[in-house]
Amino acid sequence: MDFKKQFKEGLLTKNPVFVQLLGMCSTLAITTSLFNGIGMGLSVTIILICSNVLISALRKVIPSQIRIAAYIVIIAGFVTIVDLLLQAYLPALSESLGVFIPLIVVNCVILGRAEAFASKNGVLASAVDGLCQGIGYTVALVIMCVVRELLGAGTFGGGILNGGQGIRIIPEGYPALQLIMPVGGFLTLGVLVALFQYLMSRMEKRKKEAAEK
Amino acid sequence: MKKSKTMLRDILRLSVTLLLITGMMAAVLAGINQLTAPRIAQAREAKTIAALSAVLPDAEYAQKRADFPDATGLVSEVYESEQGYALKVTPSGFDNTITMMVGVDRSGRVLGVSVISHTETPGLGAVSAEDTPKGEAFRHQFVGMSGTLAVSKDGGNVDALTGATITSRAVTAGVNAALACVDAMN
Amino acid sequence: MAHMKYFYELTVSSSPHAHSPVTTRTVMRDVLLALLPALLGAGYFFGPRAVMVTLVSAAGCVFFEWAYRKLMKLDSTVWDLSAVVTGVLLAFVCPPTIPYWIVLLGDLFAIVLVKQLFGGIGQNFVNPALAGRAFMFSWAVHMSTWVEVGFRNGLHIFTTPDIVTAATPLAAMHQGMMPQASLWELFLGNIGGSIGETSALLLLIGFAYLLIRKVISPRIPLAFMGTVAILTFLFPRGNDRLVWMAAQLFSGGLVLGAVFMATDYVTSPVTKLGQTIFGIGCGVLTVVIRYFGGYNEGVSYAILIMNCCVMLLDRVGRPVKFGAPKKEGAR
Repeated sequence: MDFKKQFKEGLLTKNPVFVQLLGMCSTLAITTSLFNGIGMGLSVTIILICSNVLISALRKVIPSQIRIAAYIVIIAGFVTIVDLLLQAYLPALSESLGVFIPLIVVNCVILGRAEAFASKNGVLASAVDGLCQGIGYTVALVIMCVVRELLGAGTFGGGILNGGQGIRIIPEGYPALQLIMPVGGFLTLGVLVALFQYLMSRMEKRKKEAAEK
Repeated sequence: MKKSKTMLRDILRLSVTLLLITGMMAAVLAGINQLTAPRIAQAREAKTIAALSAVLPDAEYAQKRADFPDATGLVSEVYESEQGYALKVTPSGFDNTITMMVGVDRSGRVLGVSVISHTETPGLGAVSAEDTPKGEAFRHQFVGMSGTLAVSKDGGNVDALTGATITSRAVTAGVNAALACVDAMN
Repeated sequence: MAHMKYFYELTVSSSPHAHSPVTTRTVMRDVLLALLPALLGAGYFFGPRAVMVTLVSAAGCVFFEWAYRKLMKLDSTVWDLSAVVTGVLLAFVCPPTIPYWIVLLGDLFAIVLVKQLFGGIGQNFVNPALAGRAFMFSWAVHMSTWVEVGFRNGLHIFTTPDIVTAATPLAAMHQGMMPQASLWELFLGNIGGSIGETSALLLLIGFAYLLIRKVISPRIPLAFMGTVAILTFLFPRGNDRLVWMAAQLFSGGLVLGAVFMATDYVTSPVTKLGQTIFGIGCGVLTVVIRYFGGYNEGVSYAILIMNCCVMLLDRVGRPVKFGAPKKEGAR
């Protein structure tokens, strides 16, 4: 088990959003304020760790013919638990994320990691994988949120800072509202994926050049 | 014969495993539900009271009415208190339905309008729900009105929001539905 | 190896050997000339501010094109004039009261995000000017503030006027009513609307010029406007059929869109059948949006949606290779 490698994969080289392009539905829909992004990211991270651990622990018990059904039951169970807890203790976040909390059940990041990692690796490694992928997902969402909120609503930290209003950076009437509308999700994601790929390829090139020297 | 026996055993093994996993998750969920149900109910009630108190001065004493006349089909809940009624109405806006609360006093005049949830265009229709001077002025103009209302473009005296005629019409339709409902109850 | 010397002196190049004098630049110059009558008309109808907005938009597009290519260390493509055309068209679909900073942000979006990020001229999959306009609806209030006819003299070049929204003919027609303006006024362009779209007459003069210069084929514009004509004639929403049809044809951005935007080489199909289907699709969507949509005008969204279908439309009506098996040709 290589914690450092797993961490780098989750955050950069196999980032669930920018590289694997998983979990697009929630990424596009809820990234309109910092509060949403952090809330969604943490919820997914917790569910991802729990489901990874349980699926890894049961990986020798679950017959391969019914594994997808079993994974979905486990994931749906954890999602519902998080949903209930949010409704009870963080109603504001629950309302803001709305239907996208129950929809984590079909978030490909979770099923994808269950199938690709947890079903083949030990419990501890799976827990670490869940944590790293979850952090990668959260960071991606937060970047999306910051960009869209700043350019689309003109604020930073909406839902958390300044009594939930966010700190206003661009005066009202000037921000490009399209960016917090659905179309802005696609635009921002497209530009960020392109930027991410560009930076990664540059890093690779530098590494190669350094190795050649 | 032998083949079908092993198949049967396989099917049994698969279903029992899945049943066990499902049962385990169900048990955990039941426990969490027990734990959170009272708090969730409490949070919902607090939310309703908050929504009511925006349009009804004595919201704490409001009682939900089981049956009410609804000719428009837009009224989903009616609360009654000494001062008047609070009605939850759901007219269709520009994008989707707008959920709003309308307070009406016993003589059929609007006490207040508040938007609970909506998906209107930010910057245009969404202003109707905002706590900005513009949004408040828009909602406040309904206070004291009675009868059947219309936006000024349609010959009424409700000032529509700039660039959001459809949203303004929807909110007006919601208020009209509430007024008609109260009128039918009196 | 002495003979090799002579070998090198032969000029070897692959076909085509005969060059046509038609370049992107001459095409774009013709398009700009065709747009000139409408620009002069805009100056007459809405005053100098309309011309100023157009100039600012064109300058903005050229600047962003130059700056992006420079920043990315690519060859400059400013001199092919395509950025100027985008800038002029973008201004033409904005109201004359639009603040300059919104125009410039629209330019930035159109040139950098829509055109250059996909590889520059010839690579974008939607019309940059129309995509820019869609983006500019971020400031929807500014984009749907119209001046009344006769207000034109009050439009100062430098200030952003604060004007009460006036209804355009399209707004009335969206409700299913005939506009107040007469058909003649609609045709001449003496009505409220976007800078370059009001005068059907001046745009049709440009259309004629483009046809004479063989810059565009009439297939897409005719299929587009013909479809709108047939549909509005068949479904007049309780008005006089012919008058309603004419009013629909001459109002809004229909002529501008059909002649100058739907015919963009890059974002329209190459085959004849594909072009016809493209035009018909634009017409159907325009009428559907005008009749049932939330917005009054549907031309720009109709073209944008059909732009996205070009990849598919390019597969129909391909000429069959001689002697190729039937099945493969049909594919």
